[in-house]
Amino acid sequence: MEALVHLGNGFLQVLQPMNLLVLFIGLVLGMLVAVLPGLTLVMGVVLALPFTYSMELLPAIILLTAMYVSGTYGGAFTAILFRIPGEPIDVPLLWDGYTMARKGQPAKALGWTLFSALGGGLVMVMVMVLASAPVAKFALTFSSPEYFAIIVFGLASVVSLGGGSITNAAISLMLGLLIATVGVDSIYGAERFAFGVPFLQDGIEYLLVMVGAYGLGEVFTRMEKGFAGDGASADTDRRINTEFPTLAEMIKLKMTFLRSSLVGIVVGIIPGAGATVASFVAYGAEGQYGKRGKELGSGIAEGIIAPQTAATSSVGGAMIPLLTMGIPGSGATAIILGAFLLHGMQPGPQVFVTSGPFVYAVFASMFLGVIGMCILGFFAIKPLVKVLELPEAVVSAFVVMFCFIGAFAARNNLSDLYVITAFGILGYLFEKFKFPIAPMVLGVILGPLAESSFMTMMVSHGNDWTVLMGRPISATVMVLAVVALVYPIQRQLREKTRRN
Amino acid sequence: MLNRLLRASPYIVVQLAAMYLYQVAGRIDFPAAPGRIGPDFWPKSILVLLGLVCVYEIIKNLLIGETFTAAGLLEKFMKDSGEAGGEEKLRSYPLLLGGGIVLTIIYVVTISTLGFFLATIAYLALFMVLGRYRNWTVIAVSSVLGALALVFIFMKVVYVSLPLGSEPFSAVSLWLLRVMGVH
Repeated sequence: MEALVHLGNGFLQVLQPMNLLVLFIGLVLGMLVAVLPGLTLVMGVVLALPFTYSMELLPAIILLTAMYVSGTYGGAFTAILFRIPGEPIDVPLLWDGYTMARKGQPAKALGWTLFSALGGGLVMVMVMVLASAPVAKFALTFSSPEYFAIIVFGLASVVSLGGGSITNAAISLMLGLLIATVGVDSIYGAERFAFGVPFLQDGIEYLLVMVGAYGLGEVFTRMEKGFAGDGASADTDRRINTEFPTLAEMIKLKMTFLRSSLVGIVVGIIPGAGATVASFVAYGAEGQYGKRGKELGSGIAEGIIAPQTAATSSVGGAMIPLLTMGIPGSGATAIILGAFLLHGMQPGPQVFVTSGPFVYAVFASMFLGVIGMCILGFFAIKPLVKVLELPEAVVSAFVVMFCFIGAFAARNNLSDLYVITAFGILGYLFEKFKFPIAPMVLGVILGPLAESSFMTMMVSHGNDWTVLMGRPISATVMVLAVVALVYPIQRQLREKTRRN
Repeated sequence: MLNRLLRASPYIVVQLAAMYLYQVAGRIDFPAAPGRIGPDFWPKSILVLLGLVCVYEIIKNLLIGETFTAAGLLEKFMKDSGEAGGEEKLRSYPLLLGGGIVLTIIYVVTISTLGFFLATIAYLALFMVLGRYRNWTVIAVSSVLGALALVFIFMKVVYVSLPLGSEPFSAVSLWLLRVMGVH
């Protein structure tokens, strides 16, 4: 009951004109970055961060979460209509969405996408409202071993679920953990890896690593490939409509929708997985358990519903550990955490005790965001896909500018521009040598939390690390972490042996 | 053998860096407390793990010549989907990349002298030209208006104190701020 009252108040707050405007801007920006092939969802949220510095906390979080939600949807338009996936999330939409469009039903394909994004989004908000408070209450019982185990699980899943080889991901992660140790250590006050350089003594802000590696690194990578001169060659002038599926059609596919929502939420909760993995896993699950699983790829509705529903609902899954434990599981939630911290609020188990109304206002904004995103998707597809015509060199030049301003504005320190340039070059090298960036970024973010919970655990338990295996929750999570790392390696080795 | 060495080279570089940093971590100065691990323990543990992974990759690539590598789930999905390799076939423009990096470094070095406005106009225009875009009207208009818009949004609306530059360039920044009504 109390939750409903908070939610009602949350709606009232979000319906303030300023907050609604910010929500609208966030939705449009999220869709734009999802449509543009050169910009990823995470990059978009990174670039929006400097705009939030002067905002109050609520509009800042509304802006970023709106971008996050609509970023999982916007890329579907170009994937279905032009076979241009704006994001890796949209790759599974090529198989059935684009095929359905080629069979002469683009409006129907867009209608299924809209329905899936709406459904997935509403389920996501419902799960967040119902599950977040109990999860936070449960997390209040956690001590340092449990926290450390959860972080280890998060880091292990980043390595095993992400892009690139598992060993390269592990190296990337450890480099991130090392970067997080630069500066003065918080327990002993000892200087680590600062080499007498003043700005290194303050440590390296994870936002700089993100902006540099994701933003600048991506621009350098695309520059090496030679920017597309006048934007993508897509016929954006043609007539574009959306045709809703009928109620009977929707009811017929309710199991696909429910299964994919569940997959999205669960995959979203796992740190490091995110919307892309959710989209692929849901498509795979549909192939395995769906009534028409064998027909996937031939342009059927299930092949659109599964990835789109899972991608959108994964946002809710990723927000739960962020809000209830202060642990971001994806690039986008890491930036949202950054916005929380910049505004002086630490998400975690206490969040419902200290800032309950605020959290419910965020939920309300996400609910309205899902509705607004679908209205935008219905009415504004044509102008949205027009951005494909923007020349990549011009877009990239402005992306670099936003990266620099974002990096500079956090501390008003010109040295930070050197740091992001260095991480931009490192990000490019990572791409070049096929080292995934996400593990490094999550290593930088979760490193301090991992170290402090490890040190606290060791001090509290007389340097006995086996305490991790002596407590039921931490032991279970540690076993899951080992399984997450070992299982994919073992499975692929088995596949290789079978092939040979 | 050269191929093997090239494949192993990133791991050799990281391994050497890890060894050096382990030495540095050994020299971390802190007041040791009996029975407690120090601030060097955590970075040293990471460096040991990093070294072990690199040694594995070096042995695998250089000595055994094995190319199999277990992929992360997302990598496997992308490979299986056949959508991952598309961009790899595109041409490579190393000079363009080198020029972009040099231009970016020059921007960072000169921004404190030229100020944000002037440095940004120059950077935006040069970046677009370097990126093989040749519509001169768009380049000129978007560089100047873009820089103006950024100054307006961030200094007037978001209250970020962007660099003004030093004399004589700061005069341009200050004049612009006066015109925009930024105090």
